[in-house]
Amino acid sequence: MSKSNTENTKRWRITRRGFLIGAGAAAGSVALGVAFGLPVLRIKVAGMLENATIPSNAPKEPSAWFEILADSRIRLFVTKAEMGQGVHTALAQFAAEELEIGLADLEVTQASTEQGFRDSTGTSGSGSVSGMSEPLRQAAATLREMLKAQAATQLNQPVASLVVFGRGIQVKNDGGRRVEFAALAATQRQWMQQVPKESVALKKPSEFKIIGAPVSRIDIPDKVTGRAIYGYDARAEGMLYGTVLRPPTLGATLKSVDSAEAEKISGVVRIVRDGEFVGAVARTRAAAQTAVSTMQAQWNESKPLQQADIDALVTVGPDAGAQIQRIGDAAAVLDAQTNGSITAEYRTPMAIQTPMEPQAALADVRADKATIWASTQSPDLVRRRVADAIGFKPEQVEVITTYLGGGFGRKSDTEAAAEAALLSKAAGAPVHVGWTRSEELRYGYVRPPTHHVLRARLDADGRIAAFEHRQASGDVLFALLPKVATTIAGGILGADFGATRGAMLRYDVPNVSTIAWRRSLPVRTGPWRGLGALPNAFALESFIDELATTAGADPLTFRLRHLPDNDWGRRMTAVLRAAAEASNWGSAPPSGRARGIACATDVDTVVAQVAEVSVDAQGKIRVHHVTAAMDCGLVVNPDGARAQVEGNVMWGVGSTLIEEAHIENGRFAAANFDGYPLLTLKDAPIVNAILVKSDDKIRGAGEPAIAPVAAAIGNAVFALTGKRLRNLPFTPERVLAA
Amino acid sequence: MELTINGVKRTVSAPESRLLLHVLREDLEMTGTKFGCGAGICGACTVMVDGVATRSCITPISTLAEKSITTIEGLADGERLHPVQQAFIDAQVPQCGWCMSGQIMTAAAFLASNASPSGDDISEAMSNNYCRCGCYHRIRIAVAAAARTSAANEVQS
Repeated sequence: MSKSNTENTKRWRITRRGFLIGAGAAAGSVALGVAFGLPVLRIKVAGMLENATIPSNAPKEPSAWFEILADSRIRLFVTKAEMGQGVHTALAQFAAEELEIGLADLEVTQASTEQGFRDSTGTSGSGSVSGMSEPLRQAAATLREMLKAQAATQLNQPVASLVVFGRGIQVKNDGGRRVEFAALAATQRQWMQQVPKESVALKKPSEFKIIGAPVSRIDIPDKVTGRAIYGYDARAEGMLYGTVLRPPTLGATLKSVDSAEAEKISGVVRIVRDGEFVGAVARTRAAAQTAVSTMQAQWNESKPLQQADIDALVTVGPDAGAQIQRIGDAAAVLDAQTNGSITAEYRTPMAIQTPMEPQAALADVRADKATIWASTQSPDLVRRRVADAIGFKPEQVEVITTYLGGGFGRKSDTEAAAEAALLSKAAGAPVHVGWTRSEELRYGYVRPPTHHVLRARLDADGRIAAFEHRQASGDVLFALLPKVATTIAGGILGADFGATRGAMLRYDVPNVSTIAWRRSLPVRTGPWRGLGALPNAFALESFIDELATTAGADPLTFRLRHLPDNDWGRRMTAVLRAAAEASNWGSAPPSGRARGIACATDVDTVVAQVAEVSVDAQGKIRVHHVTAAMDCGLVVNPDGARAQVEGNVMWGVGSTLIEEAHIENGRFAAANFDGYPLLTLKDAPIVNAILVKSDDKIRGAGEPAIAPVAAAIGNAVFALTGKRLRNLPFTPERVLAA
Repeated sequence: MELTINGVKRTVSAPESRLLLHVLREDLEMTGTKFGCGAGICGACTVMVDGVATRSCITPISTLAEKSITTIEGLADGERLHPVQQAFIDAQVPQCGWCMSGQIMTAAAFLASNASPSGDDISEAMSNNYCRCGCYHRIRIAVAAAARTSAANEVQS
C-alpha cells in the first residue's frame, strides 16, 4: 500500500442510495465512495452522555472509495493511517468480502487530502475498523451489484445467473461468458443508472470467508525489507533539511538571537526567523542541527518549573468537580458513618508516547500550493495547521499520509509539518523536518498525571454498598481541540472525556459516585495510548482488590459477584473466566510467584488479565506471564487482534514498571532513552492472548488491552508480598519502601 | 571515500567524520536503515559491518574503509529472503515496523555467530533493541524459528 496517488478524483455526486459516485482516475472508470465520519467532539460527547443521539452530519465527500484499475484489480482508497495496527488489512478484508474478490486482487492506497476526503476523526480511539465496517461493506456490496448489473447487459444474461470470479463477472461455471471488471468500467458511462434501487443486503457473519480469517497483514512484507516509506523517509527532488530552535525551558519566550556564526556553518543554506520561530535550513540534517546549536539566543524565562509544582496542581478537590456518574447516593452512605469505610489514594505520573519514529514531515511549499508528506494520525488537522502557519487556505495544502512509525496518540498532532512548511516557504525548496529523540522527549505533549481518591463501604454480606471515585487529571483531548470547542464540551461535561475514559464504575453497586476534576497544567498534555484507560483502571481495579481483601474474598469471585445481570456483566464474566482458566487461577503458582487479576471496559470492548509476577531482593518486579482475554465481538483479523493485545500488554508493563516523565528545572529531564528507558525483550512477559466472542458486533481492539495491566500487576505484587502499591511506576525503591 | 555496501563499492563525497546512518539515509537514499535515538541506545539503525551488528548512528565512516557493510536492503539473496526476514513474516512480527530493520539485522548477525541459541541467548541478544509497539513476544518466536531454519539449511547444503 501507500502508493501515494495524487491524481485528483473529486467531482462526486450523491446517488439515490446516498453513495457518492465520481469519475475515477482513469478515463471511463467508475469510483464509488462512501462518506463516513462525524466530528470527533460530537461523537465523543454523544458517547459520554448516555442515550444521546449522535447528531446527523450530511456527508459531502467520501472517506473511502474504489477505483477499477486497467488490469481489473480494484483499488481501495482509505483515509485511515497504517501505524502498525493492521487497519489497511482489516479494511481490505471488509471490501474484498463484499466484492467477492480475493485479497490479492485488491490494492489498498492511502488517500491524500487532495483526493476528495475529509476525515476529521483521523486515526484514533480504536474506532477505524468498527466505524468503517458497515459503510465500507455497503459500498463494496453496492459496487459489486452495479458491476453485475452492467455485466448482465453486456453478456445479455439475467443478473441472477452471474457470479464474481477472479477479476471479472461470468455466468456461473461458464468461463466462456465472462467480462473483466476493467471492460465493464470502460463501457458504462451512466453509472448512476446501475445503482441498485434498494440497499444491497450485506453478508451474514456466518457467510464470511475473508472477514474473521487469520490473513497475513498486507504491510508486513515491505517492513522486513526496508521498502516501507515513512514520514521520516520522505524525499523530494532538491530537498533540504530543517531544524528548529527550541526554548531551553518550558514557556520561555525568545528575547533575541544572534545567528552570525550559524550562517557560517558549512552546508547551511538559510537561517529563518519568523517571530518566535527560528530555524536553520541546510543540505544535511547534521549541518542544520549544528547551525541551531551554534545560535546565541537570549530567552525570557520565569521561575523554572519543578516536578513538585505539577504534583501540587493535580489533586482532587476541594473545589467542586464534575459529577460524571451518579447512582443512588454514595456520599450519604459513606458520610453517614465513617467507621467501616475504606479509603485509598492512587497516583499516576506523566508518561511519553515516544514512538520509535519521531515527528517527521516533508514540505514542498510553492507559490500557491503546499504539499506535505507527513507521518500523522490527523491529516485534516495538519492541513489546517500548515495553512495557518504559512498564510494559505486549507484547500491549497495537500497532505499525503505515509506509513507511521508508531502513533499512540502522539501523531494526533504533527507539529513537524508546520515547521517544515515555514522553512520550505522561506528557503524556496522542499524541506524535511525530523525531530531528534531529545525533541521528541522534551517538546511534545505527554500523558497527564492523575490523582484518584477512592472510598467504599462493604455491607454485612461483604458486598460493596457504596463506592466513590474522585479523579483529577490534566487535559487529554481538550488539549488538541480549538478553544471554542472545549468551552462547549466543557460546559456540557465539565470534564475532559479523554481523561475520564474508564473512570466510571461498571460493577453492580447501589450507590456510586464518580467525580472528575480538570486541571490546567503548565506542560502540554494530550492523548497517549488508551487515554485515561490505564490510569483509571489502575485505580479502580486495584481498589476493588483492596475491597476483596477486606471482604476476605477471592479477587476473581469478588468481581464475579459484583457483575450486573446484563449484557456487559455477562461479557465481563466470560472474559474473567477465560483468563482465570487459561492462567490456572486458583491453583498454586510456581514457588516465589503470585498472580493478580484485573478487568476493564474500553470502547465497548471488555478485557480481563491475569499477571504472574515475582519480586527479587532488590525490589525489582518481574512479570513472567500475562494471560489476556478480550471480547471485542466479531474479530476481523484474529492474528492482528492478538498482536494488538500483545503490544498493549507490553505498553502496560513498561508503564507500570518503568515509565515516568518528570520535570526538572523547567524542562523534561530526559534528553534521550538513557533518561527515559523503555521495556526491552528481556523484561517482556510471555503473553497469552485469548479472543472471546460474545456476539457479531465489531468493536475496537487497538487500545482496550492496555487498561487492566497495571492493576493486574499491582494485585499480583500484593498477593505475593502483602504490599499495596498505589503509585506508578512500581520502581524497586517504591517496592522496598512499601 | 569508498564504502562497500551490500557488495557494491560506493564513492561517498562526505567528510570522514560523517556518520554512516546519515550517509545511508541522506546521501545514498537508502532509507531502510532507521533513525531512532542518535546515541546507540535503541538499535533502530543497526547494520552489519563485516558481519557484526553495528549502530550506524554513532559510527563515523572513517572507521569503515576496507569493511563490508550490509543493510536491510542487502540482506535478502535477490528475491529470496533471509531466514530471519522470512521468520518475521511467518510470525507476523512487525506492527509499525520502524524498529524492524534494526531488529532483523541484529538477529541475523546474532544467528550467524550462534547457530543454535537457547531462549536465554535470544533474550540476551535481542534486549538492546527497543520496539515501542511491543512485538517482543513475536520477536522471540521468530528468532527461534529462524535459528531452526538456518540450522536446517546448513544440513541440506
